[in-house]
Amino acid sequence: MRLEINNVTKKFKHKTAVNHFSMVIEENECVGLIGPNGAGKSTLIQIIADILYADEGSIVLDGQNISKKKNQIGYLPQYPNFYSWMTAYDTLLFMGTLSGISKNQLHKDIPLILTKVGLSKEAQSKVGAFSGGMKQRLGIAQALLHKPTLIIMDEPVSALDPIGRREVLNLLKEIKSETTILLSTHILGDAEEICERFVVIKDGQKIEDATKEQLLHRNQESAIYLVLQKDDVDWLEKVAQLPYVKKVENYEEGFKIHVEQVQVDAYRLLQNAIDQKIAFTKFEIGVKESLEDTFLTLVVDV
Amino acid sequence: MNTFAVLSKKEFSQMVKEYKILWLPIVFMLLGLTQPIMMYYLPMILKSLGGVEGIMIDPTMAKPEGQEVLASTLNSQFDQLGIIIIIVAAMSVIQAEKANGMLAFILTRPVSISSYLGSKIATHYLLAVFSLAIGYIASYGYTVFLFSPVPISQVILAFALYCLWLLFIITFVTMLSTFFNSPAVIALVSIVMLLLCRLIAGLHPVLDIFNPAGFSLRASSVLITGSVGAWWELNLLVTFLVILGMTLTMHYWIAKKKF
Repeated sequence: MRLEINNVTKKFKHKTAVNHFSMVIEENECVGLIGPNGAGKSTLIQIIADILYADEGSIVLDGQNISKKKNQIGYLPQYPNFYSWMTAYDTLLFMGTLSGISKNQLHKDIPLILTKVGLSKEAQSKVGAFSGGMKQRLGIAQALLHKPTLIIMDEPVSALDPIGRREVLNLLKEIKSETTILLSTHILGDAEEICERFVVIKDGQKIEDATKEQLLHRNQESAIYLVLQKDDVDWLEKVAQLPYVKKVENYEEGFKIHVEQVQVDAYRLLQNAIDQKIAFTKFEIGVKESLEDTFLTLVVDV
Repeated sequence: MNTFAVLSKKEFSQMVKEYKILWLPIVFMLLGLTQPIMMYYLPMILKSLGGVEGIMIDPTMAKPEGQEVLASTLNSQFDQLGIIIIIVAAMSVIQAEKANGMLAFILTRPVSISSYLGSKIATHYLLAVFSLAIGYIASYGYTVFLFSPVPISQVILAFALYCLWLLFIITFVTMLSTFFNSPAVIALVSIVMLLLCRLIAGLHPVLDIFNPAGFSLRASSVLITGSVGAWWELNLLVTFLVILGMTLTMHYWIAKKKF
């Protein structure tokens, strides 16, 4: 399903949570909405899920208003809450029938989806006894149960342990080819795995909208990253004296050497090291910043 | 299955799990029993305690008729403690789901606000009517046993009239539950407003047309005199309009996401 967000603004009493935000998500695209706490991610997601009204602007799904498309949307709130007296199975049965799926179909689908989210043993347990992570899994199950064509998830994996996170990410990868996915997160590693496009939001405004490659490429540095054996660290002092080396600095467990022309100078540096009988454990040309660094440079005020 | 049926079924299961379906009828049964038993034994109790200066039991005082006893069950038991208990039982009908986010969550599904509100009011009204019926039958049984029989047609008509007042009570509490976020405020405002309605009923016949509590008085009047009283059609019309108005207000409130 194609999702269009047109110039959406939402003001609360003292704060503008979302400020003239627009974007278009094409069919079967996966978009990660990232931003620091309080940036307006959840507000925007609630507006898309039709829980909040936008003060201005509109949300359009395949050219239609969202209220006509509700059975095609899977929504996972940040803190999914269910009736504590219902069992996991009954909860899915309840949510499923509300979406207009027949009982017979549900009795077939529910055990499958419970297995997929890792709750098959808890099918007959009361939701009231569930931990936060188990509720999150149940939340994901209910969002996927009716096979929606648009899935909106608010922090889908933040509350999960590494096993649960892996299971959910695999689940999302599985349905990705035929589903439009919008998920918000502040854990970039997760979004990086399934989404190919990122939208960065800060103070309610869109400050970046790019594919993963674009983001990473933009911040590639002309530097050489190397890790040396301890005995050879003295060599770096000589390196710093070399005419083509601009700067040597500590970086992670090794050093970053800024040079004038990476390709040519890397070869010269390597030759120099061989002459001096220096052993590297790692030699990398062109230091890539991680997505996390990119994110930090985007959102942190200098 | 349509969403109204699914939601009503869920409400019903919740009432069963919370034992509401058990304790509410029991409380009403006790309330219903209290009136005839108290009216029957109170003179004897006072007499046997005896010796209290200043209390005088008139031996010539006529034993009340069954009709009067049943009418006073409605007036002094159900209309006081009964209303308060119904308010307490129904006060978080929507407030609880606003607080834990279930209302917003349910509305992300293809569920209309009408079927949501409809299921809430219908199930809670049915429970209230059921509880009232249990209490009323208990009271009727003891009244006939201890006092005198009451014509069954009058008993049923009075019950039907009282159920109209009950529908107003449930809708009113549901409406406040939609507006406010604190159960205490909902209970307090409901109790004050509904008891006030009941208090001013009977002051003036014109005022009674606009007062849904008028149906409580009409129920007792049917029992005692056999007459529904004047202008009951207008009273009925006004009551239905008020209930309709309250329902539309709730619908608007939820549609505008003011919760």
